[in-house]
Amino acid sequence: MTDLSNEAPVFDPTDFEALARTQDANAISRPSLSYWQDAWIRLKANRRAITSLYIIIFLLLFTIVGPWVWRIDPAIQDLDQISQPPGTDRSAQIVEDYIAWDGSTDGGSGLRVIGDPNSQAVRLTWDMLENADGHRIYRNRFPVGEELAFGIPLAEYLDNNIVTHEDRLDVRPDTYFYTVVALDDRGQTTDNFQTIEVEVERVTTLAEALERGLIDENSSLQVGDSINLEAHPLGTDYLGCDMLARLMAGARVSLFIGIGAPTLFVLFGVVFGSVAGFMGGRVDQFMMRFADFVVALPFLLFMILFKIAFGIGPGESGVLPMLIALVVLMWPATARLVRGQIIQIREQGYIEASKLLGASTPYLVLRHMLPNTIGVVLVTLTFEIPRVIFVEAFLSFIGMGVAPPTPSWGSMSNEGIRTMLITPHELIFPALIISITVLAFNLLGDGLRDALDARMRNQE
Amino acid sequence: MSASSNEQKLLEVENLAVEFDTYGGVVKAVRGVDFAVDQGETLAIVGESGCGKSVTVQSIMGLIPMPPGRITEGSARLRGHEVLGRNAIDGKDIRGSEIGMIFQDPMTSLNPTMTIGDQIAEPLQVHRGYSYQDAFKEAVNLLEMSKIPEAAKRAKQYPFEFSGGMLQRAMIAMALSCKPSILIADEPTTALDVTIQAQILDLMQDLQKETGMAIILITHDLGVVARMADEVAVMYAGKVVEHGTVDDVFYRSAHPYTVGLKDAMPNNDRELQHELKPIEGSPPDLFSPPVGCGYCPRCPHAMNICENRHPIDYFLGDHHFSRCWLHAEQVTEKPVSLYVREHN
Amino acid sequence: MWSYTLKRLVQGIITVWFIATATFFAMHSVPGDPLLNDRAMSPEIRANLEAKYGLDQPLFTQYVVYMTNLVRGDLGISFVHENQSVNDIISERFPVSAILGILALFIAAIGGVIWGALTALYRNRLPDYIIMFLVILGISVPSFVVAALSQLFLVNVNELAGRTLLPVAGWGSVLHLLVPALVLGLSTMAYLTRLMRSSMLEITNSDFVRTAKAKGLPPARIFTRHQLRNAILPVVTVLGPQVAIITTGGFVVEIVFAIPGLGRFFVEAVQQLDYTVIMGTTVFYGAFLVVMVILVDLIYGYIDPRIKLEQ
Repeated sequence: MTDLSNEAPVFDPTDFEALARTQDANAISRPSLSYWQDAWIRLKANRRAITSLYIIIFLLLFTIVGPWVWRIDPAIQDLDQISQPPGTDRSAQIVEDYIAWDGSTDGGSGLRVIGDPNSQAVRLTWDMLENADGHRIYRNRFPVGEELAFGIPLAEYLDNNIVTHEDRLDVRPDTYFYTVVALDDRGQTTDNFQTIEVEVERVTTLAEALERGLIDENSSLQVGDSINLEAHPLGTDYLGCDMLARLMAGARVSLFIGIGAPTLFVLFGVVFGSVAGFMGGRVDQFMMRFADFVVALPFLLFMILFKIAFGIGPGESGVLPMLIALVVLMWPATARLVRGQIIQIREQGYIEASKLLGASTPYLVLRHMLPNTIGVVLVTLTFEIPRVIFVEAFLSFIGMGVAPPTPSWGSMSNEGIRTMLITPHELIFPALIISITVLAFNLLGDGLRDALDARMRNQE
Repeated sequence: MSASSNEQKLLEVENLAVEFDTYGGVVKAVRGVDFAVDQGETLAIVGESGCGKSVTVQSIMGLIPMPPGRITEGSARLRGHEVLGRNAIDGKDIRGSEIGMIFQDPMTSLNPTMTIGDQIAEPLQVHRGYSYQDAFKEAVNLLEMSKIPEAAKRAKQYPFEFSGGMLQRAMIAMALSCKPSILIADEPTTALDVTIQAQILDLMQDLQKETGMAIILITHDLGVVARMADEVAVMYAGKVVEHGTVDDVFYRSAHPYTVGLKDAMPNNDRELQHELKPIEGSPPDLFSPPVGCGYCPRCPHAMNICENRHPIDYFLGDHHFSRCWLHAEQVTEKPVSLYVREHN
Repeated sequence: MWSYTLKRLVQGIITVWFIATATFFAMHSVPGDPLLNDRAMSPEIRANLEAKYGLDQPLFTQYVVYMTNLVRGDLGISFVHENQSVNDIISERFPVSAILGILALFIAAIGGVIWGALTALYRNRLPDYIIMFLVILGISVPSFVVAALSQLFLVNVNELAGRTLLPVAGWGSVLHLLVPALVLGLSTMAYLTRLMRSSMLEITNSDFVRTAKAKGLPPARIFTRHQLRNAILPVVTVLGPQVAIITTGGFVVEIVFAIPGLGRFFVEAVQQLDYTVIMGTTVFYGAFLVVMVILVDLIYGYIDPRIKLEQ
């Protein structure tokens, strides 16, 4: 241990001159960010949250700007295109105006179609079935099969001489299976039947096309030409209304309630909670007990009860009463949260310090307490929105929310469910848009929470 | 390491370096740390928050979550066997059996839903193969050994029924249940009242005398160091800046940071009383660690070289070294506050 | 423990009283007395009602009569269904809903804990991503859509199999129960999975798990003894309120799957404005929820030793 060091590096003489300080020792090397700047940077880094934000903006545009772009009235029924899925062929042959059938048939045999089967009428004739004491005619959208599923009965002729039937009952361009069944002497069906598959073509008349604005008066179209009916990008519902237009109109109701109600009750909760938290003592006790009771009410039952109390029965739309009922019942969660925050903040040193500096109560509340709760409140709001959208959908689904003709996504789903097996698009579109909206708000909420609450970061 | 310490010590840590991936980048928390500790000895690792002292011992214990943590370099040998990245040496488990560990906050370091006795019994069941009944009985003995009154009754209670001091005693009983050769105490008294602190430190010293274990004590409290330690390693920005016996470090402080720490500490000794001086500034950003001496930006005696080159080891005694360019022979006027070799 | 239970019971009774009162006044604030409007009501029922509720009496007297009947456990007579008391209707219909709900809650709780623990164990790896994707779906798709789609799925499965593997709707056997219960429990399961995941992650980073590691315990033991039990605690706390969600979710599932439960009956009663049934069912559900929340709190006290002191 004779050397002072364990190695002998080469030095420059200037190395051992006192360092000329270029910066203050107390300087902070990284730029300082405000709470909101920091949160925004973190939110921007969250791709899911940002995508969700774009989706929400798109939904709002869809609701507000959409009806200006897609100018179809959601209430107009296109009776030629009922329950049409998107992308269906919408061409129609122009035919003569309807002329009643004189009953003339051709010389064929068995169950057969007379003339062209089209959406004006399908004309059937058949030969008398063996041992028949009359005939019943059925129409189905599926083959009869082993279960002898004939479909809906169209007519019954107890007179064996009548062997023709003209079907004008809601005939749509589709494939139908017509069945004629022999009846016994008591009018009961026998297992003697004949069936036929019929492709029905969509037709329209010149007068009709003119009336619906598909052609103008000096159009050169003739009978036998084909024209395109109105376009429905997302198809039509069971009333023939345009799905896209209805989704836009429904968005107005669903988002009005979905965003309006949470905004109101979160606001109320903030006021209630901060008053309770700030006052403390007896007032706080009393206010929070009251909130507890409201929480204890079976929520959806009371929603329904409220609507009845407002005098709005089933089948009647009451957007405003629904909004009020939601606000009256859903505020306590926010109130509790804000109260907890305020009480926590009240105990903090900086409040004490601010008080010592002579800050007034309104100053304390507005400058220190509320700004510190805004993050939490914002997160709550984004999570309450999807919840309320669900509630609206649920209420409309059980028929206690928005009722036809006013569309909402929930009531559209409700209607769609009935025909889900045959025309699933009537359920899928409203269900999809509810799901996407709820998903977007949930993911944005997650992102906001992670961005605003450093403690919650990296946790779902 | 020191040229004179060729014989094998109980635990030897050499050139340990640990990094963490964070959302802001890679943090080089520990940047080449060496120390050694022998049986019956107490080594204190001192430094301010974030200097890497806890990370150092946690990486020896294998407690660094990987990822995001990563041991990039170095070795830690227990009786000559490498422990880094291993669970057992010589058929004996390292954690809980060879090395026991206690933590800063006893309130949160115990499972709130398990009785104290069960928690102390666990290592015995796992490492020693005790039956539950035997382990629990032994747990009561251990609680008695840690001077907890009514140990049999206490063993059946839950952590929330204990005070902080009692919990730390229970933690010690748990850490020592398998008679480890080393006890690592990570700021064991920081969360406790001053009066309780003394009791816990006494308990640790008593148990050390009984069992002959080595203690590695992590602290930022120089009072605790003076009371407990045989040797002291002062850490700054992920490196050891001064190392020596407790007397070396306290009375012959050879690094400006050690001097700064002492100046910032109150002293009850009337003769040594002085005005408290905080160390200006804050520790360097370990996202981009300094090229030169980490303490340079805060050092009152900084020189040009300090900014660009990391200081080499300057020995001031057999075990006493300082990593500071002020000890270079080229420096003619040394600060008076700094201990320098007399024959210089 | 007993005094705590007693205290909770008293609180519960007060809550039920509040619910009953709120229900009563909400119903009576309907423009025009609901009991007097000209719905199809047989004269006998009307006479019965008038006698029973003192309809000619002032509101407060009616309230007293209503509350007295309630204390005696008498919820009144249906407006629409002749000669049927609300008590009969509930005792007939509720067991169906209860079986469905309990099974759903069971599926949701077990599933939530298992999936949540799995996602935490495989954090940021494929199983985590897959499960969390499904969870997000489960949270975002309304229950009636899930119910309808699962029915559609059942129809197709049965068609493919050529026979009825699982009934598409109706009530009667265990098989009828499975899919509706799963659908009913789905959103709760998704919610619990999320909760369990974040709770597990928090526990994984907690000091006492670090202590357990420092003790050299094997990972399996750390997981079962130290992580799981502590991570389940927050999941148990929300089970009480989740009962409410499952009950109301039951409305939808009962309607879609044609299950003769109380939920479906309630919706029918709403559509028919059967006031006594609406009131009776509301109070009954309220009381049921209160009991469930107390029950869950008691279970919580059993799982978490810290609760015992707060009697």
